[in-house]
Amino acid sequence: MKFIVSSTYLLKQLQVLGGVINSSNTLPILDNFLFELKKRKLTVSASDLETTMSAELEVDSDNEGTIAVPARLLLDTLKTFPEQPLTFVVEDNHTVEISSSYGKYALAYADGAEFPKAIELGNPSSTTVMGDILATAITKTIFAAGNDDLRPVMSGVFFQFSSENLTFVATDAHKLVKYKRTDVKASEVAEFIMPKKPLNLLKGILAGSEEEVKIEYNDSNAKFSFDNVELICRLIDGKYPNYEAVIPKENPNKLVISRNHFLSSVRRVSIFSNRTTHQIRLRIAGAELNISAEDIDYSNKAEERLTCSYQGDDMQIGFNSRFLVEMLGNLSSDEVSLELSLPNRAGILTPVDGLDEGEHVTMLVMPVMLNN
Amino acid sequence: MQKTILHLDLDTFFVSVERLINSELKNKPILVGGTSDRGVVAACSYETRGFGVHSGMPMKMARELCPEAVVIRGNAGTYSKHSDLVTEIIKEKVPVFEKSSIDEFYADLSGMDRFFGCYRYASELRRTIMRETGLPISFGLSVNKVVSKVATNEAKPNNQLKVDLGYEKPFLAPLSIKKIPMVGDKTYQILRNLGLRQVRTIQEMPVDVMQRVLGANGKVIWKRANGVDNTPVIPFSDRKSISTERTFDRDTIDVVRLRGILIAMTENLAYQLRRGEKLTACIAVKVRYSDFNTYSKQMRIPYTSADHILIPRILELFNSLYNKRMLVRLVGIRFSHLVPGNYQINLFEDTEEALNLYAAMDRLRERFGDKSVIRASGMGAKTIGRMVNPFNGQPPIILAHRKQ
Repeated sequence: MKFIVSSTYLLKQLQVLGGVINSSNTLPILDNFLFELKKRKLTVSASDLETTMSAELEVDSDNEGTIAVPARLLLDTLKTFPEQPLTFVVEDNHTVEISSSYGKYALAYADGAEFPKAIELGNPSSTTVMGDILATAITKTIFAAGNDDLRPVMSGVFFQFSSENLTFVATDAHKLVKYKRTDVKASEVAEFIMPKKPLNLLKGILAGSEEEVKIEYNDSNAKFSFDNVELICRLIDGKYPNYEAVIPKENPNKLVISRNHFLSSVRRVSIFSNRTTHQIRLRIAGAELNISAEDIDYSNKAEERLTCSYQGDDMQIGFNSRFLVEMLGNLSSDEVSLELSLPNRAGILTPVDGLDEGEHVTMLVMPVMLNN
Repeated sequence: MQKTILHLDLDTFFVSVERLINSELKNKPILVGGTSDRGVVAACSYETRGFGVHSGMPMKMARELCPEAVVIRGNAGTYSKHSDLVTEIIKEKVPVFEKSSIDEFYADLSGMDRFFGCYRYASELRRTIMRETGLPISFGLSVNKVVSKVATNEAKPNNQLKVDLGYEKPFLAPLSIKKIPMVGDKTYQILRNLGLRQVRTIQEMPVDVMQRVLGANGKVIWKRANGVDNTPVIPFSDRKSISTERTFDRDTIDVVRLRGILIAMTENLAYQLRRGEKLTACIAVKVRYSDFNTYSKQMRIPYTSADHILIPRILELFNSLYNKRMLVRLVGIRFSHLVPGNYQINLFEDTEEALNLYAAMDRLRERFGDKSVIRASGMGAKTIGRMVNPFNGQPPIILAHRKQ
């Protein structure tokens, strides 16, 4: 088995695939890239058993064969080369020899047959989405997903496809983001929960991409294909919580405020809050929003006042400032609206402007109980 | 820098308070402590000591030794009130102090000799306390906590003693090794078996030998015997944990009752957390069986102060801990890793009704007392919980002869 490939072209593809590989694997074979050569077509794959990603490369060859090459070693080597053709030759003594214009390097390879096979999707449903839209949907929601191993369904992003719209939801039971596109539709109604890791990979690759992404899915797996890349991952099994039911319908108190001012005030004030709980207090009366925090242990205290437009009763509500900072930081609008009902019910944060046609963002943040 | 550490100890504190309340008790032998079969002597007057009575001894035994003694059940509330009076005076007069138990105080007087003369200042402080509270108090003054404490014990009753700089070793040398704080009955026996009686002998021994016999503690005891101790006087800072426990009058195997008690304890401590605007991230359960073997188990949890999260976790810990089918002598719970904060509401698990119910129950407790509303499942437990807010900025009440 022998092939010739451009060093930077190969590196670029491998770096994308390298994101799949865990830093410590229980199965040693997963530390490798799988190279499958079929004449001029080289398919490189990486897997962590849950997620498998592969890319198809054009190479110069007339051989066939499969080998598994140590990923870290290969990536470290490729990074050091300027653009040049590299020749890979598989020797008899279980090494693959790479020849560059500087010299020769031999890597021990493993048998390609040991590498776990990618899952085949049995009778999948499919839909297509523009790459950039998918990347935006992931960026807007993934930060709100949880990390709790005890509640795996909340550690992913919920995809909800229908013939009218696409909805993406993430929550960790304290905050929730719902991102809805009414300008994109799916052929069939479908719901599945995507784990975070493949989504983070997709987010990185697809940002700004004009490519169409084909999404195929069944009950247990999903496959994303675009360009020369294919990503197959296992879905999170379980029932997603009924998030619609927890979004308060009646919110008589509505606050509209400059996002930037609000964000920087919360950031500043939260420095003075307790370092573990990050709790701050919002007091709204008339057209004034008062943000305060106190760390009793160190006698640190801060208070800021902002003008806002507010309709509703005077109220006082406590929040974890990190949630507010994450949410406000994730939005890009000039103004945001915060709708409230009671100090022990969710606040609804929505951007007032700056949305594309057909784009809807709803963010929910649960308060902390305050002693009056 | 050379330090000057003052140790103050109220003489037979509980007895002195009782005598203050009822002057007829003066010069009579008095025992204060639990009167049940399980009761121990919390304090005894000097008149009873001649009979061999000492604090910590079972009350039954003390009564046999000294049948003419007046036995008083004692009231922790009254004692802590008097202790607070003394604390107030000390707080006002010294720069840094540590209240190490209900009747013991350490104060750091370093540097004050330049202006007042430490011994004179301490003597005046002692006189002030005795005049204003009517309670006898003794003190020891030296360069560190250990020597001062030993000096106080030597000075007692109702006296004072100063160990001059550089005379720590000669001061300790002729004393019994039992006088070193940390040498309890067991260590005393080990050391006696080695032929040690006076502190002098330990001072003359190489530190290695002590370490070989008693491990790491041996080194500490050797240092103490030589009058070396660098532990600082720690002024009280906020509570790091809250706990409650209960010893039964009669050992029990009634699991339903034990669970009820745990529920009531959890409910009460969780309320204390909410009242003090605290959250806990580590909970523990302790079980002591009738054979005195004590087991405890703890668990990390996300920060919370909610009953409905804490109670199942505590019961879960208890179920995994209680597996011996043996009589239980004591159960207790502890919440630690406390941080200031309020309960973060959960989108899916908390209903508005439940939150409002908790808030209403807390308001009731605020107005009508800790036990005005409790869970039915915890009603079987009669006397658990505390009377005072643990987060009022005061150190916890530690009874006289107990260690923290």
